[in-house]
Amino acid sequence: MADTEVLPDIERKEKTGSKFELEPGWLVICWNDPINLMTYVTHVFQTVFGWNRQRAEVHMLEVHRQGKSVLARTTMEKAEHFVHELQKYTLHATMERES
Amino acid sequence: MKLLRANKDHCIFQLGQREKPLLLETIKLYPLVPAAHHRLSKAGHGPNAEDNQRLLEAALAEQREENHKQVLAMLNDAQRFRETNSGFELTLTPAQIEWLLQVLNDVRVGSWLALGEPEPDEEPEVTEPDVKYHIALQVCGMFQSALLAALGVKESPEWAGD
Repeated sequence: MADTEVLPDIERKEKTGSKFELEPGWLVICWNDPINLMTYVTHVFQTVFGWNRQRAEVHMLEVHRQGKSVLARTTMEKAEHFVHELQKYTLHATMERES
Repeated sequence: MKLLRANKDHCIFQLGQREKPLLLETIKLYPLVPAAHHRLSKAGHGPNAEDNQRLLEAALAEQREENHKQVLAMLNDAQRFRETNSGFELTLTPAQIEWLLQVLNDVRVGSWLALGEPEPDEEPEVTEPDVKYHIALQVCGMFQSALLAALGVKESPEWAGD
């Protein structure tokens, strides 16, 4: 029988990302390019975000009439994903820090 | 170009005699949007903004390379277009429709950029070197509308005047 008891090592969980990356507060914005077809923009919003037609059209018309629309408020990682998906379709999309 | 029939696996389109070469000549222009056109952020926020921008460009380059392979496959696949009495039948899966939409919009936006980003109601002067961009812009819009209509996306009467 051992005189001393060996305690298991305390495992430290590695963080999967910094606070900056994980906290919500990033806006995914689509900007108006007058060359894009309205139907095309509607379709891309439905495809990328899984929205129904009505919701996609509301954002498409906002882009068309007001020059931009905030499509999502999310984490940095997800915002990067959405911007990439939108740019694959040659839409003018960026991610901006929420002020 | 019009939709003949569709099921969950594919759509079959009818193309006129002149539409097939028009489509193939147009997608040969891909990619047309300059690589540096896309920006991750206007303000360049974040501790790794430059690294993230480079990652985005790398991911987009990879996507364009994949789309370009699909374009070449379409250009070199004689079986893709079945000749009929009135023209050709083109069969596309839903995934192929998505990449073709991406390719056509790249060519459309790239043509618009090459023409100096004219406003929709503006009629820019047509010069010899720019003719291909004027044609591509119109042709892409025509094919995109046909593909989107096949997916059930059509213009709403409420958008009239926009």
